Amino acid sequence: MRQNSGYVRPDVLVSTDWVADHLDDPNVRVAESDEDYLLYEQGHIPNAVKVDWFTILQDPVRRDFISKDEFEELMSQLGIDNDTTVVFYGDKSNWFACYSFWLFELYGHENKKIMDGGRAKWIEEERPLTKEVPEFPSTNYTAQEPDLNVRAFRDDVFRHLEQGLPLVDVRSPQEYNGELLHMPGYPQEGAMRGGHIPGAANIPWSQATNEDGTFKPAEELQQLYEDHGITPEKDIIAYCRIGERSSHTWFVLKYLLGYENVKNYDGSWTEWGNLVGAPIEKPEDGTS
Amino acid sequence: MLDREAQIEYLLDRYQSPEHKRPLPDADVSAEGGNPGCGDIVHLHLKFDGDQLADVAFEGEGCTISQASADILIDEIQGLSIEQLENFTHEELMEILGKEIVQNRTKCAMLSLDTLKQALRKHHEQQIRQSLDG
Repeated sequence: MRQNSGYVRPDVLVSTDWVADHLDDPNVRVAESDEDYLLYEQGHIPNAVKVDWFTILQDPVRRDFISKDEFEELMSQLGIDNDTTVVFYGDKSNWFACYSFWLFELYGHENKKIMDGGRAKWIEEERPLTKEVPEFPSTNYTAQEPDLNVRAFRDDVFRHLEQGLPLVDVRSPQEYNGELLHMPGYPQEGAMRGGHIPGAANIPWSQATNEDGTFKPAEELQQLYEDHGITPEKDIIAYCRIGERSSHTWFVLKYLLGYENVKNYDGSWTEWGNLVGAPIEKPEDGTS
Repeated sequence: MLDREAQIEYLLDRYQSPEHKRPLPDADVSAEGGNPGCGDIVHLHLKFDGDQLADVAFEGEGCTISQASADILIDEIQGLSIEQLENFTHEELMEILGKEIVQNRTKCAMLSLDTLKQALRKHHEQQIRQSLDG
C-alpha cells in the first residue's frame, strides 16, 4: 500500500510490489484493462485476466453496459467471487483500468483496487510477463442493482445545469473549445456540434497523473481541482467523449480526494453534442 | 484463413517487427493520420512512377492494431495504380487483418487506410496545381 500519500482512501491504490506479492493469492484477481486491444496478448502479469472495456464490458448492440445478469456471468467466468479483491491495471496511466473499476462499482463490487502506475510501471521495473491465459474455477456471483449514485444520465445533467452545479470536462482543450468534433477520418464517431456543456470546467484527465503514470500526490490534486471550483462539498458530474477518460477523474475525486457526490456521465459528448436542443458553450462566440 | 489465435500472432508479429516502417525522404506525398483520443499516429509516405505506386513506407506510433494495420496495408498496395488504390476498401482491409479481431477497434484498424485516402487526395491536389502552373 502507499504510505503518506495524503489520499482519503489510500487502500484503493496498490503498488507493483504489492501485486508481485499477491500473484498467487486466491483471494486476489488481477485484471488488465487496456485501450490497446492486443496488449494483453503480448504479455500480461502472471495470473491476470483480460477485461476489455469494449468487447467485455459493453452490450454489443445497445449503447449501454452489460446487464446485471451478464456482469454476474462475467464474474463467474473470471473466477471472481463477491469477496474477491480485484486489482485493475492497464495502459495509458490506468485510463481504462479506472473505467473497469467504475463499472465494478456500478454493480456493487466492494473490494477493488488500482495498481498505481499501471502496465508501464510494471514493465519499467522489468517484472515478469506471460502469454499464458489463466483459468479459474467459476463462481456463484451476485451483483447489486446498478448504483446510480455514480452514473449520470442526460436528464441528470439537465437538472444539474438548472441548479447551477459544477461539471468537469476532462477532454483536451481542443475538444472543449469545439475545435475537434471527431477523430480525424472518423466523422461517424464524432458529434454534430463542438464545444462543451455550459459552465463546465476544463481539467484534462491526464493532469492528475505523473509522467510515470502514477497518480499525483493528494495536495497537488486538491489544488488542481479546487482552483477550478471543483470542491469536495459540491455535487460533481464528470464527462469526456464516451465516459472512459472521465472515469479516471471520477476515481481521483471520489477515492483519492474523498468527494462524496461524484458521478460519471458516460453518455458524455457523443450524446450531448448530438442532442437536439441541448445547450452548448463555445468560447469563440460565447453562445449557449 | 487463419484461426483467431494465428491471426492475433500475425498482428502481434507485424507490430513488433514491421517490414515497412521507415522514412521515405524522396516521397511524392506524405500524409499524417491520427487519433488524439488514444494517441495512434500514422505517417504514410508514397512515391509514384507515373500512375503506379513505386515505393511506400510508414512511420508512427500507437496501439498494436493501428501499427500492424499500416504495415500490412503496405504489403497489399505495393505496385498498385492510383485507381486501384482509390478502390481499395475498408472491407478488404478488415478481412485481411481479421475481421473478428479488429472489428472491436475499427478506428484503430482503419487509420492506415484513411491516411492513404487522405494522401491520395493530397497527391491529386498536387497534380492539379502542377498542371495549372505548367
